[in-house]
Amino acid sequence: MDPMFLAYSYFRRRRFEDCATACGKLLEKNPYDQAAWALKMRALTEQVYVDEVENDEEGIAEMLMDDNVIASVSRPGTSLNTPATAQGPTSQAVRPVSQSGRPLSGVVRPGTQSGRPGTMEQALRTPRTAHTARPVTSASGRFVRLGTASMLSNPDGPFINLARLNFSKYASQQNVAKALFEYIFHHENDVKNALELAAMATQASQFKDWWWKVQLGKCYYRLGLFRDAEKQFRSALQQQETVDTISYLCKVYIRLDQPITTIDVFKRGLETFPGDTHLNTGIARIYEGLGDLNNAVKYYKEVLQNDNTNVEAIACLGTNHFYTDQPEIALRYYRRLLQMGVYNAELYNNLGLCCFYAQQYDMTLTCFERALSMASDELMADIWVNIAHVALGIGDTSLAYQVLKLALASNNDHAEAYNNLGVLEMNWSHIDQAKSCFLSAMQNGPHLFEPHYNFATLSEKIGDLQSSYKGVKKSLDIFPEHIDSKKLLEKLQEHFSML
Amino acid sequence: MEDKFRDKPQKSQSDGDSKWLDAHSDPLAALYSFTQCMTLADLHGDGEHKLVIADLGTGAYNMKLKVYKGTSLMSENTIIDLPTGVVTFLMDTDEPRTPAIAVASGSYIYIYKNIRPYFKFTLPPLPVNATEKDIWDQVREDKIDIKTVKELLDGIRSEVTESGLTTRTQRFLMLAPGDVEEFVSQHKHSPLKRQTVITCLDTLRKSMADDDAVSCLVLGSENREIYVLDPEAFTVLSMLQIPSVPVFLSVSGLFDVEFRIIAACRDGNLYTVKRDTTVVKPSAELNTQPVGMVRINKNVVVGCMDQTLRCYTTKGKKLWTVQTPAPITTIELMDHQRHGFKAVLVALTNCQVHLYKDKYLVNVITTDSVITGMKFGRYGREDSTLIMINKGGGLLIKILKRTAQFEEGAMVAGPPPAQALKLNVPKKTKLFVDQTMRERESSVVMHRMFQHDLYRLRLNTAKSYVSSLESSLNPISSSLSEPVKLSAQVQGMGPSFRMNIQLTNTSKSTPSRNWFLSFQYSEAIYKLEKYYIPVSILLPGLTYSFETRIECLTDKGISDQIKVMLIKEDSTIPVITAVISMPVSEGQELA
Repeated sequence: MDPMFLAYSYFRRRRFEDCATACGKLLEKNPYDQAAWALKMRALTEQVYVDEVENDEEGIAEMLMDDNVIASVSRPGTSLNTPATAQGPTSQAVRPVSQSGRPLSGVVRPGTQSGRPGTMEQALRTPRTAHTARPVTSASGRFVRLGTASMLSNPDGPFINLARLNFSKYASQQNVAKALFEYIFHHENDVKNALELAAMATQASQFKDWWWKVQLGKCYYRLGLFRDAEKQFRSALQQQETVDTISYLCKVYIRLDQPITTIDVFKRGLETFPGDTHLNTGIARIYEGLGDLNNAVKYYKEVLQNDNTNVEAIACLGTNHFYTDQPEIALRYYRRLLQMGVYNAELYNNLGLCCFYAQQYDMTLTCFERALSMASDELMADIWVNIAHVALGIGDTSLAYQVLKLALASNNDHAEAYNNLGVLEMNWSHIDQAKSCFLSAMQNGPHLFEPHYNFATLSEKIGDLQSSYKGVKKSLDIFPEHIDSKKLLEKLQEHFSML
Repeated sequence: MEDKFRDKPQKSQSDGDSKWLDAHSDPLAALYSFTQCMTLADLHGDGEHKLVIADLGTGAYNMKLKVYKGTSLMSENTIIDLPTGVVTFLMDTDEPRTPAIAVASGSYIYIYKNIRPYFKFTLPPLPVNATEKDIWDQVREDKIDIKTVKELLDGIRSEVTESGLTTRTQRFLMLAPGDVEEFVSQHKHSPLKRQTVITCLDTLRKSMADDDAVSCLVLGSENREIYVLDPEAFTVLSMLQIPSVPVFLSVSGLFDVEFRIIAACRDGNLYTVKRDTTVVKPSAELNTQPVGMVRINKNVVVGCMDQTLRCYTTKGKKLWTVQTPAPITTIELMDHQRHGFKAVLVALTNCQVHLYKDKYLVNVITTDSVITGMKFGRYGREDSTLIMINKGGGLLIKILKRTAQFEEGAMVAGPPPAQALKLNVPKKTKLFVDQTMRERESSVVMHRMFQHDLYRLRLNTAKSYVSSLESSLNPISSSLSEPVKLSAQVQGMGPSFRMNIQLTNTSKSTPSRNWFLSFQYSEAIYKLEKYYIPVSILLPGLTYSFETRIECLTDKGISDQIKVMLIKEDSTIPVITAVISMPVSEGQELA
């Protein structure tokens, strides 16, 4: 068989390593074989290719040294950084929040979990574990870890020596240039050289090729030059509207913290691509980030109209129904996910909870058992905490105690477990144990108001009004609308002003 | 007609600030003062009223008496001690009728005429405790050693309480042992005096009720006394002991005829003193601390710390109480003579100033910061000016519009707006009804199933619980004899991290001894600075912190777990274990 044909065949069958070796053999025979060279580059790129649109997490450096911030104190509803306070149908007391102060989402995406610390000191002092650590910069940590190419060392040096490459020669050869660019960008992770090549190539094509503009924008985005990236994407969109380019442009606006503009861009995209799942999901995510759950739900429903197997939309709608006191409908959504073949511990955990709250008791514990049997260690802790909720629901406090202890054994810094354990200890009037549990919960979960409030209640009970006041103040800082905290504060103020 | 009438309250609430003109605002005036230390007076007899403010400076130094004319500062005089009150009064009948300024500060009253220092009045000294005097006499003659002095004085303190001692003794007892010698040698030769401090200051017309009549000074002291001073000779005309420390005074009447002094005191009571009073009894009990008091005609209005504004008759009968939306910082009388309108301005901590006519809220002024001092009166040539000082030291001057009318009872409280809101209760879905039907039909099966599962869950939980106890995997020790809690956090970006470990003994009273901390980790990936940390003692209730540096040896972008174990010194099994999942080291990629 023709070795070149074989290499193509390997490539089409996604056997990239075989393809690369086949091309390598061809290149040994004839080092100037451009077809083999280009194919090898594509094979190597495909091995480490990461979807740029979805994968993005702000590193500590980007977050704190953000010089694109327009207003440090933005108006409510115009920034993703300051979560809106108790907008929409659910409050923090019903639907828990993630560390960033946003209502819990149905799916875990980059950026939904970790919070945005206010100061450099806060960022550095936040305890880091494998579960909570955020990368230093997105330029280094995350991409290197995801695209592992630059971590693997080739036995006989790199495939292409970038330093010795004549960019201007390849920039004009459109057929090779694109493959070369992707290789440099994805495989070598060398944004500077990629930018140089893209700049030359777009010049060579007389600024008529939208593809190069998008690539330029991608490079600028990686380098943190968001305004330049915006210009490139806008210009590319004028030539050719694609969903991909729209998504990139929205990414730029999200980074510039302009959620309203982002939604506008998405909506304009929807005019060209009506009913596009990706664009609708994008809008729903932004609304979710802004805490506007009514609109988020509307767009997730839109997604499901067009694609009734979209996992993200089903999961988010299920979560929303669960927290708006309709567990029976949430149960339907999660069952749908199960039917679609999603089979993991999180799903069984949610099914168990839905069953319990929808009073379908016969299925509850079976679901939790399944969840436990396939959970990872960190997830295990979450499942144990949920089982503790069930145990408390049936009034079995000793079971709840054991289960919470098990949760802590599998994840030592599980703030919710500490908090609930503290409440149990408090009810058994083990004051010191309860206190230290609440303190740990505060340390490990700076986004939770419950430990502060519980600590305040406990302090008030034992007569330590000063600590109680401090606790209740912190609780109200995190959740200003919490009625019980407000009542406790009133009571304390009465105490303080009494003669 | 009816519709129009109903609209009115809303309107007057929204345009609350429109009744006032912003005359001047200086956020950088750097004034630190309160209502009692502000007054308005025509100091030069030229018909132009000036603003006199005793500025508390930083609270320790830089105390100043400031006089403002228009929008600018006219003069500044340094005050030695913290001012507690400022009043202006006419001392004599000379022409032109220029009032003097009296500033109460420490145990002195400084009198200024033409904004120049004129006279200093000192409160009469109080008797010194005989034993205390004896001790200091002995010190002067070096007959006694300083340690015994301290013990003896301490003894006296427990007998007569802190306020019965001289300031020298008070200071002496506060000093650190090293500074005592110097203090004694510096002060032992000066005579021992016991003085009290002025807490509040007001004026009382002497014999005529005219606006420009000669007035006496009335002052309250920390020693629970009220003095009335003669305006010319500065002799004590009258002195009366009251049961508590007066903090606010309200004075009416004429000294030579009949007068009435109402003192709001620190024990939360109002006391009334009249010309012929000898024994003072509380006329009203507030049950909370007063934060301000003003007199309107024959009533006094007291702002209290429990967010209430109360009105009492001079006899002490309570007329009404109003709950304010936020704690009160200060209150001030608004006496609009031209309209014959008297109301109370109440500054609140929610950055608003409320105007109450009787018990009705008639106007709300919103400010940028919390107001700490207010004065309403004639300033410059404008009759109704409101001068405010805020917490940040800013000066705010507002003028009441001449056309402003305050409607009495305009802001009546109706039912709270929350009553009209409908709760968003989700409807019960058909699905829910179906599921309920299922539950009703097969309740026995479901219950059995649940119980069966529950027993299994209990068993499984107990099993894993026991195994976690056996392997001491828990960060909280559950042994009854020595309950200890461990929590550990990792900080840093890598390659070097820091691990903070906190240990708390949660038992009631038993300290635990002889522990050590040890770590279990992969040596290929991590290097610990300390792999053995001795923990000699853990006292109950305290949190002990330990830390160690961790070096990540690999640049492969992988991470591992580190186990922290607390072990008894003579045992091999850890009591508690914490498993820390380390973050990926990123420092090397940056370098």
